[in-house]
Parts: sequence; structure tokens; C-alpha cells
Amino acid sequence: MTTPTHDLPTPAGGPDPGGSDGQTGRDMDEPPKGGSFLGYLLRKLGGALTSMVLVIVLGFFAFRMLPGDPVLKIAKERPMSPAQIAELRSQYGLDKPVIVQFWDYLVGIFSGDFGESYVYRKPVSALIVEYLGPTLLLTATAAVIAITLGLWLGQLSAWRRNSLFDKIASSTSLVFWSVPTFWLGLILLMIFGGTLQWLPTGGMITPGLNPWSFAGIIDVIKHLILPVITMVAVVYAQFLMVMRASLIEEMSEDYLTTARAKGLTEDEVRKNHAVPNALLPTVTVVFMHIGGLIAGAVTVEAVFSWPGLGKLTFEAISGPDLPLLQGTFVVFSAIIIVMNLAADIVYRFLDPRVRRA
Amino acid sequence: MLTNHKLRRRLGTCLAGLAAMALVGSMAAAPAQAETTEAAEDSKVLRIATDGFIDSFNPFTSFYLLPTNSFRYMYENLVNNSAEDAQPTEGLATEWDTDSEGKVWTYKMRPDMKWSDDEPLTSKDVAWTYNQMMEKDELSVANGGLVENFDKVEAPDDSTLVITLKNPQSNNPGQEIPVVPEHVWSKIDKPGEFKNDEKSVGSGPFQLESYEANKSVTLKSNPNFWRGEPKVDKIQYRYYTNSDAQVQAIRSGEVDFITGLSPEQFKAIEGADNVETNVGNGRRFQGISINSGVADAKNNEFGTGNEALKDKKVRQAIRAGIDIDTLRDQVLQDYGQPATSFIPSVYEKWALPADNPVVSGFDVEKAKKLLDEAGWKEGSDGIREKDGEKLELRFLTDADATTEQNTAKFLKPWMKDIGIMLKNEASDVDTVSERTTKGDYDMYFSGWSINPDPDYQLGINTCDSRPDADGNGGTSQDGYCSKDFDKLYEQQHVELDEKKRVDLVHQALAQHYEDTASITLWYPSQLEAFRSDRFTGFTKQPTDGGIIANQVGYWGYSSVEPVSAEDASGDGGGLGAGGWIGIAAAAIVVIGGGGFLISRRKKSDDRE
Repeated sequence: MTTPTHDLPTPAGGPDPGGSDGQTGRDMDEPPKGGSFLGYLLRKLGGALTSMVLVIVLGFFAFRMLPGDPVLKIAKERPMSPAQIAELRSQYGLDKPVIVQFWDYLVGIFSGDFGESYVYRKPVSALIVEYLGPTLLLTATAAVIAITLGLWLGQLSAWRRNSLFDKIASSTSLVFWSVPTFWLGLILLMIFGGTLQWLPTGGMITPGLNPWSFAGIIDVIKHLILPVITMVAVVYAQFLMVMRASLIEEMSEDYLTTARAKGLTEDEVRKNHAVPNALLPTVTVVFMHIGGLIAGAVTVEAVFSWPGLGKLTFEAISGPDLPLLQGTFVVFSAIIIVMNLAADIVYRFLDPRVRRA
Repeated sequence: MLTNHKLRRRLGTCLAGLAAMALVGSMAAAPAQAETTEAAEDSKVLRIATDGFIDSFNPFTSFYLLPTNSFRYMYENLVNNSAEDAQPTEGLATEWDTDSEGKVWTYKMRPDMKWSDDEPLTSKDVAWTYNQMMEKDELSVANGGLVENFDKVEAPDDSTLVITLKNPQSNNPGQEIPVVPEHVWSKIDKPGEFKNDEKSVGSGPFQLESYEANKSVTLKSNPNFWRGEPKVDKIQYRYYTNSDAQVQAIRSGEVDFITGLSPEQFKAIEGADNVETNVGNGRRFQGISINSGVADAKNNEFGTGNEALKDKKVRQAIRAGIDIDTLRDQVLQDYGQPATSFIPSVYEKWALPADNPVVSGFDVEKAKKLLDEAGWKEGSDGIREKDGEKLELRFLTDADATTEQNTAKFLKPWMKDIGIMLKNEASDVDTVSERTTKGDYDMYFSGWSINPDPDYQLGINTCDSRPDADGNGGTSQDGYCSKDFDKLYEQQHVELDEKKRVDLVHQALAQHYEDTASITLWYPSQLEAFRSDRFTGFTKQPTDGGIIANQVGYWGYSSVEPVSAEDASGDGGGLGAGGWIGIAAAAIVVIGGGGFLISRRKKSDDRE
């Protein structure tokens, strides 16, 4: 399973890994030229909308090109008569012409109806809502920790560029970043789950516990620790690298010399002057990657049996449960597109140099 | 100069929140002890790891393995399959009889049975269930095939059930259909859409208590079960998406039973504390299906199969060129039984005996001789040729299945030895299934799970059951078609004298073996493990060397007993240590976050 989170961004701009609109130039030296904020917003919105339309169309056709007939797969190794198979086909709406199925799908999407899952026999939208919570809990916790850790280590690394600390911090993060998520998760699972038996090996809560009781909350936190550590270890490098690169760039700026000339200590110069400025490009990258993090949850959820959207997608693929696949694909893509759009807007707000242009 | 207070304030808030969360995390250490006592009460809950799909718990519509396995525990059948050898034994019916033709089957019901809600259970419930499946399309989805031959089902009195068939059959028609209570199901508006996933009413040893999607399924013992209430209170299936996590879960004592282990996983767990293993002789076969010329039921050929394979001698040569014993030893690490034909040896009565004259072994010289006879002569590069055509075959495998990939590795040089160039085409399982449906293969790795009565599996080897290139029209094991085989199938289908029927089945299997529509490699073992410090008394099927999970019956878990309480305690001590990780994580975050917050405060007095 590929995780989009593995696209290490080029610091301070560079190609947009989410690829929402093909607009890639975010270089600090070359702010987008001209246009009012409204024009900028409309352009970005237009790009996002186009992407969304593409996703919706692709969501239907891509999965239909997958090999394998869902009905025959269900019927495999079972004493099923041709009449039963035909009945299933008609229940799933697979007996209709593709164009009619596509139309039903389009009409459905615009009324928030993604159809009914073949496997769960439930509306896909209800399933997605049901499984979204655990995914948000997992990714939000991991995101907050990864961002904090990455930014903090990143600015320290930049300030002490080429020191032993910098070398250790940068290379450790890159090692984790290049490790396959699945493998790292399994290793942690074996050590802390199987061998040491400190932490649970899967799931979100011990069955039977009330998640809203004190014991339940503690239990959920215990279940969270390993998947969160896995996710954080794999993704914090990108925040570290961006922060480091953009702070290094700031460090050559004249205003820092001015600040030093005023008699401020190195620490003060770093914290009050350099870091706030270096945070700007970083915030953009952070936004872009929140969407990617959610998509990256597919692997982590599969390893740790975390009952979220990722696991739901994982199961839908093995079906293949077409409506569910379409639904999760559209939702995942929408999250990424919205996050990219937010990144563009936030960036415009935060950096006066872009606004001034 | 830019000092973005807002941004920093927000970051600060995030950090504060995180620090708080981490603190809560560190408290995880404290109540862990309290939970251990709670766990002690679980000593009568058998926890089983699963990764199974659940569509619903509606026995009329559900297909998937986990729900259908649960139905075996929730709903008693009219006739069950024994633990000893999986042959018909009493269920709701204590005895049965058929007319001389095998068309009218009469069952005598056990008296004074009760559903789990204390309502009486009679033959009327059975008749009602069967009739629902016969009359309503939406209720025939899962098991409709089993009542297809039913003409009518009647309950002349509370203790008698009569099934009249359209055509005679020797296979007992009262098996494998879950019987539901009429007084519950007749009140449901749309029974085809009913999920049945809250407290169920049934007659088996366990009843569904609760179901949490992707988290757990809990079954509770049924005090009204006619064989007596089980000794464990509950069975709880817990969800593990990946099988390696399941192995870790049994090591750590989070679950009590796991199944479906790979040989590597099985070997890794064999020495683990308090874990006992079971190598179960399974009811599955694996083999190589050969494209001997696929066609639909009307003999319209389709697909891209190699013409050479239409020659029986070429197919037989392939079998003679495979050293199955070495393969079983190397690929399965010997976790499998030697095989003859597609009925596994756990069904001792039906399986083709190994001493049948058609059964042959590994013999390179014989393989070469057969190919010579078929007109394939060795070329300069050692690959055989005929009419300028080289003997090249494609072998389709699932790229994710270790067994299949390893088999392919051995097969390639072995086939080369006898002059066949084998091309391994590894693909994902969906592509394999799509290509085999279309007949776009020469050979592929295949396998089926077999039920105790051989009729169905024999049936899908008849000419009439062959589907078309779209997969419509029927199901076929290997696309095989033989008039002789069909005749034997029809004869055994109606033969009521069991001894004669066994003989006919053996003849049919021998015919299939001789024709070599496929090569059965082995009957793989089902590798299982359970916590011996918590439970004992698992019943295998067959009792001698069989499997615990996925039985055709409810024996596996209904005989299980908890090991005495003092032996069961002592686990869970490690749970408290989980808090240490929380503390470590909290420490990192608090130190980091705290440092940031402090630095924020410090700077407020030198703001420009």
C-alpha cells in the first residue's frame, strides 16, 4: 500500500505533493504575481473544484476497471445457482448498463448518497461517518505530535547546522522516514505487544469496555500508543526537514544581523525573529500533509487493526466492494483537496510578501 | 519585522493540549491493576482472533465465513455432522428415513426442545424455515442451492417433518440449513434485510449477544441447548486485520485461540509459554488446475488454453514430472497430508484410497515416455516441439500467496527436465480469478474447501455445470467434462445403498484422476493455537487429528472448559507496564512542549 505521506516535500515551496491544481510555484523569492485576493481565491477554488470533478469521475471508472467480478467472487466455492447469482447482481445494481450506473452514482453523490455497501449492506455514507471518528482520533494525535516534534527538532537542527545534534536529528528522522510503515509497525507490535506485553496488539478498545468511562479512555489511549508512534516516526521527518531548510534560509537574512546588533542573545534572535518567519512556508506544508496523513492511516490501521476509514478501505479492496471503494476514495480525495486549498489560503494570509504582490 | 503572535499562540495551545493528553496517558499506569481483576472475571470468556467479514447475522442471506461459522453455533440443523468423521448425526431430528426411491424423506424430531427464549421448538419451525427459502427469492440468497431440489416441506405434526424432493437424491437434504424460530422471524417486516445482529433467538450452543462492527462479536451460551449448556459463558471474536498481530495477541494472552497460521508463524509460536498448538487435518485440497480445453455447457469453446493440454497424455506427463512429496516437504514444511483426488482424506469414506490402481507417483522417465507418445519430440534446447511449435505453458499464481510462489519455483526446473517450458505468471488474486473465468490460462494454482457429502463437489465437475466465459451458467472446478464421469455422478446421486454409493464415488474420482483435469497436490493442515493456561477440552473434527475452527458442526468450542482459576491468574501484570510507555511519551512531549511554552513567556518582555 502506498502512502502519500511519503512524498517528502521540497522545502519552501517546490512541487505540490497533493497536486490539487498543478500550481507549483511557491518559492519565497517569486511570489505569485498580480491579482486581488478574490481573484487568487477564485483561481484556487476553481482548481480544487476541477480536481473534485475528476476524482468523482475517476472514483466510478477506476474501480470498475479492476479485475474480478464482485458477485462471482462472493459466489466462489459456494453452492449457488445461476438464478441466485442473477438475483445478487440485480440487488447490487450490476445488471444495469454502466452509463445508468454512472448516472445513479452521480445523482447519489450530489445528494450525499454513495450507495449501499455490498458487504455491509448499509449506506456507504453511514459507514464512512461511523469509521471516520477513529481515523480522526488516530491521525490528529499523530499529526499534532509529529508536527510539534518535527518543527521543534527542525529549528534546533537548523540553528546548530552541521553540529552533532543536527546530524543525529536529521539522519534519525530520515531513517524512520525511509522505513516501510508496515514493517516498523510490525516490529513495534512484536516488541511491545508480543514480547514485552506492555501494550495491546490491536483494536481501539478492549471489547466490553465503555469508551466514555475512565477505564475506557485509558484503554483507548493504550491502544493508541503504538499506532501513533508508528505514524509519528514515519512522518515527522518531513516537518523537520522543511523547518530546518526554511530556518536556514532565514538565517542569512539581514534583519537577523540587525537584531544581533541590537544586542539580543542568539536564543532571542532565533526564537523571536528567525523562527516565526521560518514557520510560514512550514505551515503551508503542514496543511498539505494533513490530508496525506489521513490517507497514510490505511497502512497503520491495517497493521494495528484500528477500526477506522483506512481499515474500511483495506477491506473494501478485498471485496471488491465497489460502492464502498468509491465512497472512501472520494472522501479521502476530498480531504486532501480541501487541505491543499486551505494551505493555499492560509499561506496567502500568513505571508505578507505574497499579499503585497 | 514579523512576529506572528496569533500563530504562536495557537501552536502554544496545541502544545498545552498535547501535554495534557500525555499526562492522561501517563496515568494509564495506575488503573491497570484494577483491570486485571476485571480480566479474572473473563476466565469463562473464550476470546478468538478473527479477521472475518460480517455482512449480517441473517442466516438466509449471509455468505461470509465468520457469520456462517457463527450460524453453526447459533442454529441447530435438522441433521448435523458428527465430530468423529463429519458424517450425518442427530441434530434437531433424532432419526430419518427415506422411501425406496430417495424422493420422500421423513424426519422424527427430538421431543421437548426449546428455543433460547424458552418457546417450544417443533417441526413447524423447520417447515416454515425451509418454505421461506423456497418461496422468497430474497431469502434464498445464501442457501437457496440447498433447497433447489425441494418440491414441498410439511410438518404433519409437531414431531414429524416430511421433505418431498423433485428428483431423488442420496445426500441427506436436512443438512447445512440453519433453522430459525418462526415466532420471531414471521414477525419481521422485511426478513431479507433483517440484520439479526442484536440478541438472537436460536437453538444452538451459543446465541449472539452483541456485535460491534470491526471490533468484536460476542456469543453467549444457551441454557436450552439440547446437548446441555456449554461450560464457557461466552465466545468473543476479536478483530485483528493482520495475522502477525494475531500471533502476537496469543503470545501476550489477549486472545485464547487463533487459526489459519502459516507454517512460519506456527513454528515461531510453538515454543511460546502457555500456548498449545494443533496441526489439524483440514477439509481443503490444493492443486493445479489444467486447462484441458474450457467450454460452456453447450460445448462452445472459449479461452486461450494451449492445444497440447487437450491431450490426456500431456496432462498425465505433467503429473508424473512433479515430485509432490518433495514439494509438500519443502513448500508446506510438511504441514499437509498426501492427496489423491479432490475429496480430502478427512472424509475417509469418500476419499479415493491411495492404493487405487490409477494413483501414480513421481516418475520422470514415465513423463518423458508419455510426451514422446503424444508426439512431442525433444528439440535442440531440450524443450519439446511438435509441428514446429514449442511446448510452452503458462502457470498462473497469486503473487501474494507464498505457497503458490514457492510451488512455481520448484515446478519450473522440474518441467524443464521433462521438456516443458513453464512460464510463471504471478498476478493479484482478482486478475487470476478473472483470467480463469475467461479460460485465459494453461495451468493455475487452485483449491477448494469440501463439505462432508461429496455430491456438490462431484456435481461441479460435470459437463452441465460448466459456466460460459462471463462466469454465468454454473460453477466448475476445472472446466472438466466427461460423459463417463457424468454417468457415475448421476448414479451416486440417487444411490441409497451407502456401500454402493461409496464405490460409485471412488469410481468417479478415479476417472477424474485418470483424465487429469487437475493435479491434487495435498490437503493442507489447518494450523491453530490456543492458550493452554486458560482453556482445555477443544473438540476436533475429525476427533482424531482434525481441526478446531471452521468445522462443519459446533463441536470445536462447545466442549471447551476454563482451566481452574488459580492457573488462569498471573497474566495482565504486564499491562501496568504499558503505562511506562505512556510516561515516556508524556515526558518527551511535556519536556518539549513545556520548553516551548516557557520560551514564549520569557520573550513577552522583549517584544518590539
